[in-house]
Amino acid sequence: MTSCLTMQERAVAINPTRSCAPIGAMLANYGIHGAITINHGSQGCATYPRHQMARHFREPVEVATTSLTEKTTVYGGKQNLIAALKNIWERFHPTMIMVCSTCLSETIGDDIPAIIDEFLEKHPEVTIPILSVKTPSYIGNHTTGFDNFLKEIALNLPDRRKKKGETNGKINIIPGWVNPGDIRELKHVLREMGLHGLWITDYSETLDGGYYHPRPHFPRGGTTVEELRSSSKSLATIALQRHIGGEAARIYERRYNVPAHVLTMPIGLKNTDAFVNTLVEITDHTIPEALEVERARLLDALVDTHMYTTGLRVALYGDPDLLEGLVGLIAEMGMTPAYILTAADNRPWGERMVELTEELGVESEIILKGDLHELHKRIKQKPVDLLIGHSKGKFIAEAEKIPLVRVGFPVEDRFGYHRRSIVGYNGAIALVDEITNTIFERRATTIVSNTLIETGVEGPTDIPIPLRNGAARHP
Amino acid sequence: MQFKCNQTLPERAIHIAIKGPGGKCQRGDGTACFIANNVATTPGDMTERGCTYAGCRGVVGGPVKDAIQLTHGPIGCAFFSWGYRPHLADSDFHMKYTFVTDMNETNIVFGGEKKLLQSIIEANAEFPDAKAVFVYNTCSTALIGDDGRDVAKQAEAIIGKPVVFFECEGFRGVSQSLGHHIGNETIFRQLVGSVEPEGDFSRSINIIGDYNIKNDIRTFEYLFEALGLRIIARFTGNVSVDDLKIMHKAALNIVHCQRSATYIADMMKEKYGTPYINVTLWGIKNMSQALRNTAAFFGLEARAEEVIAHEIARIQPAIDAYRQRLQGKRVFIYQGGPRTWHWIELLRELGMETETAATTFGHTDDYEKIFRQIAEGALVIDNPNVPEIEEILTRRRPDLFISGNKERYLAYKLGVPFVNGHTYDTGPYAGFVGMVNFARDIDKALHAPVWNLLHQHARPAPADRHATHGFEEVES
Repeated sequence: MTSCLTMQERAVAINPTRSCAPIGAMLANYGIHGAITINHGSQGCATYPRHQMARHFREPVEVATTSLTEKTTVYGGKQNLIAALKNIWERFHPTMIMVCSTCLSETIGDDIPAIIDEFLEKHPEVTIPILSVKTPSYIGNHTTGFDNFLKEIALNLPDRRKKKGETNGKINIIPGWVNPGDIRELKHVLREMGLHGLWITDYSETLDGGYYHPRPHFPRGGTTVEELRSSSKSLATIALQRHIGGEAARIYERRYNVPAHVLTMPIGLKNTDAFVNTLVEITDHTIPEALEVERARLLDALVDTHMYTTGLRVALYGDPDLLEGLVGLIAEMGMTPAYILTAADNRPWGERMVELTEELGVESEIILKGDLHELHKRIKQKPVDLLIGHSKGKFIAEAEKIPLVRVGFPVEDRFGYHRRSIVGYNGAIALVDEITNTIFERRATTIVSNTLIETGVEGPTDIPIPLRNGAARHP
Repeated sequence: MQFKCNQTLPERAIHIAIKGPGGKCQRGDGTACFIANNVATTPGDMTERGCTYAGCRGVVGGPVKDAIQLTHGPIGCAFFSWGYRPHLADSDFHMKYTFVTDMNETNIVFGGEKKLLQSIIEANAEFPDAKAVFVYNTCSTALIGDDGRDVAKQAEAIIGKPVVFFECEGFRGVSQSLGHHIGNETIFRQLVGSVEPEGDFSRSINIIGDYNIKNDIRTFEYLFEALGLRIIARFTGNVSVDDLKIMHKAALNIVHCQRSATYIADMMKEKYGTPYINVTLWGIKNMSQALRNTAAFFGLEARAEEVIAHEIARIQPAIDAYRQRLQGKRVFIYQGGPRTWHWIELLRELGMETETAATTFGHTDDYEKIFRQIAEGALVIDNPNVPEIEEILTRRRPDLFISGNKERYLAYKLGVPFVNGHTYDTGPYAGFVGMVNFARDIDKALHAPVWNLLHQHARPAPADRHATHGFEEVES
């Protein structure tokens, strides 16, 4: 089995799989209770991401903008940012303000940290943290904004006054770009282990909230600023996505002596095992019965479904960390991740993916700097049985009549995916079920009770089943 | 009405007014001056406004069905403006595809002109059937001084089809509104009149300022055609580049969205002498009047009456039935611009009254039309922000909120029935038959059993460590 790494060469991007940096910082900031984002740029830089998040989470998403105009491109946006800070403070009394930049404010050269300092000097009554995060759209993508936010949190919020051996008894968990349902599943794992997580950050409730009367002033949930302050006293930090939070975890280690564990996103059996084993390693807690039962149930689901999934060719697209985790479960299901496409221009990741897929016994083409039009062209040349990625892949799915299993961000054409989980043993079970049912729906049109089991699921691609893969794991 | 949330924001007062006795404007600052509008947003007030790029790419240029929609800038502008607004057509290339020059840091430092030229050539090579390339400029590419106009000219010579360059950088203007203007002006300058077709155009019209949201045109185009008129171009719902090129031949322009598209009607009037009439294509009275006014221009009055009578007979029983269920409901309409005043009469026909009216980017003429139509005592608010909307929903407690998807979930969190006026829940809503859809959606929104569940069975948020954190009671 040999995988290969290719790079899309086109200058024009057609149907990108990614969006831009500010939305990542805004999303992460939603995980802090009572925190408000000010986007320093054109109004569209706040309104577009708000709209996008509202379509995914189906929740009110509120982000302030400094409403820069033509004049500010000449004279700078300082007055607008100072006014915005003042207005947000006076009207909302937030627990924290995060100012993220844009193409516009970066290109005109506004010194946001200096403007914030000036504001704080003039307003000594403002004692909350005001964080500046660099998020111009022309550097990286939406994951970059999330990651930069986490780095700023790690650098600025934790309490540096730590006595030797002082601990809060918690474990910092940086879930990365996941859904509220994923965070809840991770919390469940920690709870079952008898551990306390300190979530950096936690939008499991702020972006998947309930209906309460009266409406709380700030959405319920989220990590508090006080908790983040104490995050320097945690036992360890676990970052569950390498590119979102990995660097922040290392900052915790360097600055505050909190050991860093940077793992693959825990999708599938082995990736979840790695997460659980890390918790065991950090704390000496044993794996509880409840998690063992879930783990066994995942194995059971994998064996129950393998006759429908083994040998199917799948196309995966999205963010590097999601793909890295997902490819684990896809291989465990006996499927071949034929195309693994990301928009990121990240050769080290691509090389690691080549190694990883070869280790897993699957043959993949890993495409860097790719867009969905490129993926569509590959699929036209050599089809796949299944697409896995966010909603924007639906155009390929419709055109080629290939089912799409929706994971990642955004899922804007279906309901409730933000509540689901794909991480942990339970998340993997749910995803195995979803993938298998999607295949059933496509292949077996007339289902009479249990006869579906006999109908069989044939791939259109008549490729041989990769027995080496199976044989290697079942001698 | 004094807004509690504006205690520290006195500058918002001039954007808020009540229609007082005798139709007088009673503005929030205590004067009788007209409501302030189309001015820069107060920074950090949580506005709902978007940018000039959004108005140009999203509203005016985006619906053109056979143009390559290429954003010259970083990825986000293109990603977020892709495929969320249902400006449908009889083909879906424009909905399915978005193109972007994907500016990265190196491009920002060294300039993006080469990449733009290459992108146009590549995009055209990938989709050779496209009839034009629409290039939208963004903040960053404008600031670094890319000469997109010149690149567009070069590209045009290379690919042999129009390359239309829109200078719609997000920072220009105070809202989406300037983007509409730029979209109109650029299409007019670069496309309209570039082909001179033969034939008889004496009974032809353009429908200006309709974007075919959820197939709105299916509710009214056949009515104009039933008058014996030929529709040359729609500006810009379900329109092709070729239609735009010959739209100057029309005998009459019918202007529907009078905020985003009167510009092109004015330019056509000036350059080609094409007359235009303003119409509202929503609601029984307004749709009928639109057909009557159009018919009067062509001397087709008798035919119009037949068409109108036939259509009204079709829908009247349904409308009557809905009116009984909707009678007396008080509505808060908040739309981008004209829909706010377009719908006041329609809602009255359904037995409802607009108690609060707001727009995101309306100009003085929009607010004049609102003031003319609303009842005394109604509240009018310009460019409302999130806390203001929340205060209206909690203090004035309208029976129904008609707004857009960003505001939907706020309304739901406050237990207020909501209908999506921007992109419709289950539209189309225009014309006679569309009004039945609108009434049905309003009925569904108002009478769904969920509101009883919420209002009778909802509980306060469990008191945990967060409940008191920065909590400030919202007055209801």
